[in-house]
Amino acid sequence: MFKKSHPLQSKSEIILRNIVVIAMVIFFTVFLIIPIGIAFVGSFHEWNPLSGTYNFLGLKNYINVFSSELFWTSMLNTLIFSVVVIIFRVCLGLAIAYAIYSSIVKYKSFFRAVYYMPVVTPMVAVAFVWKFMYNPQLGTINQLLGLDINWLMNPKTALLAVMIMTIWKDFGYAVVMYMAGLYSLPTDALEAAKVDGASAWQTFRYITLPLLKPMTLFVIITSIISYIQAYVQILIMTEGGPGTTTYLASYIIYDEAFVKYNFGYASALSFVLFVITAVFTWLSFRVSGTKE
Amino acid sequence: MKKKIVAMLLVVSLAVSGLVGCGSSTTTGTAGKTNVEVPTEPFGDTIKYDPVVEINDGKDITIELWEWGSDDLFQQVIDGYTAIHPNVTIKLVNNPWEDYWTKLPLSLNGQNGPAIFNVHNSYHENLINYMAPLEIPLEDLQADFTGVDAHVIDGEVYYIDYGMMTGTVYYNKEMWAAAGLTEEDIPKTWDEMREVAKKLTIKDGDRLIQAGLNFNDDFHQNYLLGLNYQLGTNLFLEDGRTPNVNSEAMKQVMQMLVDMYEVDGIGSKDFGEKGADSFGQGQSAMVIQWGHYYNTLQTTWSNIDFGVFEIPTFDENPYAYNRYNGESTFGVNKNAPADQQAVAQDFIKYFLANDEIQIEFNLAMSTFPAKKSLADNEKILENPSLAVLAEHIDRYIWPGSMPSTMETSLKKAGQDIFYNGVDIDTALNEAQENIIRDMENSTFTSVENLYAHAE
Repeated sequence: MFKKSHPLQSKSEIILRNIVVIAMVIFFTVFLIIPIGIAFVGSFHEWNPLSGTYNFLGLKNYINVFSSELFWTSMLNTLIFSVVVIIFRVCLGLAIAYAIYSSIVKYKSFFRAVYYMPVVTPMVAVAFVWKFMYNPQLGTINQLLGLDINWLMNPKTALLAVMIMTIWKDFGYAVVMYMAGLYSLPTDALEAAKVDGASAWQTFRYITLPLLKPMTLFVIITSIISYIQAYVQILIMTEGGPGTTTYLASYIIYDEAFVKYNFGYASALSFVLFVITAVFTWLSFRVSGTKE
Repeated sequence: MKKKIVAMLLVVSLAVSGLVGCGSSTTTGTAGKTNVEVPTEPFGDTIKYDPVVEINDGKDITIELWEWGSDDLFQQVIDGYTAIHPNVTIKLVNNPWEDYWTKLPLSLNGQNGPAIFNVHNSYHENLINYMAPLEIPLEDLQADFTGVDAHVIDGEVYYIDYGMMTGTVYYNKEMWAAAGLTEEDIPKTWDEMREVAKKLTIKDGDRLIQAGLNFNDDFHQNYLLGLNYQLGTNLFLEDGRTPNVNSEAMKQVMQMLVDMYEVDGIGSKDFGEKGADSFGQGQSAMVIQWGHYYNTLQTTWSNIDFGVFEIPTFDENPYAYNRYNGESTFGVNKNAPADQQAVAQDFIKYFLANDEIQIEFNLAMSTFPAKKSLADNEKILENPSLAVLAEHIDRYIWPGSMPSTMETSLKKAGQDIFYNGVDIDTALNEAQENIIRDMENSTFTSVENLYAHAE
């Protein structure tokens, strides 16, 4: 019989470990730490790597960020976008996962795959399809609903339209996460509730939901990080318009860096966004009462 | 053992696919090379190309030419040149437009950049530091081509325009006839244009069925940044640095656009997401588009029977008709080895001296030739979008390689006016402030003062 050796006992295992660890350290250093360092230093400069411009500006980029009306507008838009999409992602994901998990639903794998399909479809492709669906003359949404709305160019509906598309694309992620959480619930707690005569709602409210708290926290935190970085759907569907109505924080970074080649200002924006993301993540831990 | 082999294969395949994924550029070979007639006598106007003169002392040399599209067109020039100089191999490297402007400057900054590359003047600031000046005498360039002065930097020229692109009016001939209009009705003024557009508009109650004129999504490029010249106002103040987008002329143009939709009802901000697409889809009767649209119509919407006429004016004799932008000649990489730069310089001379190539490029891009001797060329004038420009081509202004903020800020201003209910003064003042802020570190200076009829 095969006898499991003690971890890192053999010389070959130690060599393998060292190779893997060194490879990972090199990878993260080259592709993460050094670029972040370069961007941080660049945030204090007038910087265009394509023309070779690199002049020290001190804190000017950061001052410009905080004095920019567009920055605050986009932060408000990002907040609205993130809160709405996360709420729907969590609620829809949990509801559908619970429905699939229940004994009355057959073909569970099929439904799980169907709901997950939009998640693995590239955002670019989805955004283009939805953009066409929102077309005021040719789009299926107006035709099906009998409406005459210019969804993506009306300031009252543009951000909403992008949020609906994002929710549709992303809630499947929460479905799969919650299903994993539901299948790992301790059966003894659920059986005990049943023996004690708890109703289905009471079981869900007082047993299932609290036990899914770590998964909920995970979905919320990964969603916060993801949606603060959202810009592809804006780039394709509205380009921030009409006017600046749908500017999100990350879209300004894209616009400054890759349209205006203002990499210094874009880097300063990125670090501000990094701090905000960290604060929101920390707050999520605090609110949930979990420190780890 | 078997697992190890499989694992190794997977690692290798991943590494290979990863490397392949690093770049999407394609190198075009010379498989499609056709028989090329090799000239033996010098040709050209003032800039003459002598095919007898050897390049690189007849020794073999290979250079790269980077571009973002139109492979066949570039290959045609390469084939003509290499037929004269069989010792020269030019590898054509195509990068998609989106990647080109990131990859090219970074490549030019290194040791292995292309010796020669296609230029678009909107990326002037990112390229100029890597370019070598052309070795053709300035006076020769000025003698053969229009608009050269606008490209002079400290007495040197790094690239010029081979063609000039601007906006013209495209109209749907079937809709035109259905409205009872004839060639006699082609408008000369904006007032006439609005009347014609009203006749071309079809409504079912309040619902628009067919727009007479559609400028959605391109009003900033095709109207705001150009019609100001008709009213005698430049886009920049006399210092050439301060934008002038909240001028009375700009406000008048903007007001006219608003009135066309909201008073005349000849179109709608909510009808046809993009004017160009709406015309191609047969929803709109007229659009103002730049030269490239001629080719787009022929390739993408070939079922549309269209005609072209010159952009209307406010007055009979405007200060200028519109803005134009140049299609640029190639650039030479100053960091390339000297022998490669010499080939690149020679290649550009061949390109500029060769009338057939100039005609081919201008027809392919639907640009009016900058080469003076081709202004009345028959082949050029067979293209209706170029023919309508011929009479007043000297009455178009190039403001210089404007920073992108000029377009994006005016687009936002227009959207604020049309969709967000912001008044014209406020929106244009905000655009003015945005442009000033964005141009703070720009080296751009307008060349509007070089316009031949500048007042």
